[in-house]
Amino acid sequence: MNNLKLAWRNLWRNRRRTLITSASIFFAVFFALVMRSIQLGSYDHMYKNAIESYTGYIQVQHKDFWDEKIVDNTFAYDQHLEQQLLADKNVESTIPRFESFALASNGPQTKGVLVMGVDPEKEKHLSNVSDKMVKYRLSPEAIEKIQLDPDQPEKVKELAVLFENSAYTSNSRLQLDLGIDDKKASELMPAIEAHTASKNGSIHMGEPGVWVGDKLSQYLQLGIGDTIVLISQGYHATTAAGKYEIKGIVKIPLPDIDNKIVYLPLDICQGLFNAEGNLTSLALAVNDNGDKDIAQTVQRISALIPEDQRVMEWREMNEVMVSQMDADDKGGQIMLGILYLVIAFGVFGTVLMLTAERKREFGVLVAIGMQKKKLASIMTMEMLFIGLIGILAGALVASMVILYGVEHPIIFKGETAKIFEEYGMEPKMAFWNIDTYYIWQMVIVAFMVLLSIVYPMRKIFGMKVVNALRA
Amino acid sequence: MLILLSAMALPVLGQDISPKEIVRKADEKFNGEKTSTAVMAMTIVRPTWERTIEFKNWTSGREYALTLITAPAKDKGQSFLKRQNEMWSWNPTISRLIKLPPSMMSQGWMGSDYTNDDILKESSVVNDYDHSIIGEEELDGRMCYKIKLVAKEDAAVIWGHQIRWIDKKDFLFLKSELYDEDAYLVRTETGSEIKIMDDRLIPTRIELIPTEEEDQMTIIEIKEIEFNAPIEESFFSQQNMKRVR
Repeated sequence: MNNLKLAWRNLWRNRRRTLITSASIFFAVFFALVMRSIQLGSYDHMYKNAIESYTGYIQVQHKDFWDEKIVDNTFAYDQHLEQQLLADKNVESTIPRFESFALASNGPQTKGVLVMGVDPEKEKHLSNVSDKMVKYRLSPEAIEKIQLDPDQPEKVKELAVLFENSAYTSNSRLQLDLGIDDKKASELMPAIEAHTASKNGSIHMGEPGVWVGDKLSQYLQLGIGDTIVLISQGYHATTAAGKYEIKGIVKIPLPDIDNKIVYLPLDICQGLFNAEGNLTSLALAVNDNGDKDIAQTVQRISALIPEDQRVMEWREMNEVMVSQMDADDKGGQIMLGILYLVIAFGVFGTVLMLTAERKREFGVLVAIGMQKKKLASIMTMEMLFIGLIGILAGALVASMVILYGVEHPIIFKGETAKIFEEYGMEPKMAFWNIDTYYIWQMVIVAFMVLLSIVYPMRKIFGMKVVNALRA
Repeated sequence: MLILLSAMALPVLGQDISPKEIVRKADEKFNGEKTSTAVMAMTIVRPTWERTIEFKNWTSGREYALTLITAPAKDKGQSFLKRQNEMWSWNPTISRLIKLPPSMMSQGWMGSDYTNDDILKESSVVNDYDHSIIGEEELDGRMCYKIKLVAKEDAAVIWGHQIRWIDKKDFLFLKSELYDEDAYLVRTETGSEIKIMDDRLIPTRIELIPTEEEDQMTIIEIKEIEFNAPIEESFFSQQNMKRVR
């Protein structure tokens, strides 16, 4: 107990030295945690986007479909199998899909597109496309209305021009882009919402009509009510061709998908490809999406399905993204390693100076009868205190930032947002909530501190008192 | 007198005819000197399924061709037009006339093993190749010239060379082997069921077997064919693609 008291007092004898050493540890912990949180958060966000707006966690497919995505590799939609799948305890619902590629055209504009035949009702359990319908758009007409509105401030008018033709699925993003703060929102937003409202309709099973991605609609210069022409190869090399009215425009958070997706009602899509009753995949919405739950569910389902079908999980279906994230993760870890190395040398430098400064003090203490062992233990405690102060302070401040970030992810706007979108990412930086990675960062920093204690220990035990006294 | 003349002419033909002439005769025999009108059925055979498409085909010389799909119901009404070097496709479902780019010439027609180029006869076996007789062989009891066709340097053809077996008496293409630029055999075509159609003896069943694909082939059967019936050039028009029955 006495030792502890001595160590504590020693710390505050030279306050500046203690604070500088703690501060370097504080920054190490703080940056490591925030960096890691953003990294993990971004991965999670991207995975969720990909899974929830496209693949789902688990899919049942024809065994050859993944390698060769042609409509000949489809399977019959079997109600009996569906019932069996639904009986699984982790399967919340089954979502039948028919996806293929087609050439879409509008007059001289032509583009290869991804055609998705979906059941809009069932899709609500997974991708929830109807939620992604564009509700507001800063069309030239809408901007004109805002310009003429005497109640709108100049800044809003300027920003509206900057975001010409942007589409919004929620009013909060629109509010953000137009630079309206929450206080003024209730006053300004209703008028803006009225000016920019977009008349989207739904697609229904049995009714010809399509939803197209926002970017695709801009490329093909198509709007709601226009007709899109789709041409492709159908089942058993038949010709698949059809023209459909655009009922609505959707904005998918993955720009790569947004610029090529066309949604059709499932039965209409099967008709287009002459594959009535067939599916390319049956996506499953699950109750628990942990890695272990998914693996077990896949195993159970594999036993149920016929031989010409296979079960795939999201990791296999998003292989490119998973390896991209893995590479990025490794890059992040290397960055952390470098950060730790710099900090470790910083801490070690301070300890080195501290030991040199106190050489005479150590000499005197030993000369008047203090055991070297006791001196060493006090020294160790001092170092641990410094480390603890740094780590705890770092973790505390990082937690505040992260907890705030989880609730309010950083959303980029303007030019920065465009750059993100050009790289195929959503302009959003999400945080990952406090989790096991926290412990790891703290353990590593603590280990660094322990390592730097070795030096003063060696100095103390190898000290020649006479020399030390003269220092 | 006639008999005597032809009896005298025959051995002359047999000996002095040039390989190019043989190919030209065989080609004309099949496509008609001026025009042809045919009703055909094409069966696409794949390992797990097969499908038959029926169509009508009008040609005039090498320049003009029009093809109309008549069955199955889903594909009915689609038509393809060739005028000189250009090809269009009309699809009534979407009311769209599409011009096929030259890059699509080597792609399969209606999902078959035939390419658009085969159907439209963009290239000519007579003019785009150098010919040489490399032997004589008997096929199905018929003596054939075995002729090698090597693509001319500047010709826009997709084959490096071809070997064709042409019946000595009636100038029929009985078998063709088509090789790519690297001299790999890409496909084999055989003609069989030789029948008299519109006073001509021609093979009415042509089987196309791609070398690389297992259990896969395309069979064309000629149901009716009429040669050299007058067809106006204006028949081969974009307007007519939409009208023709």
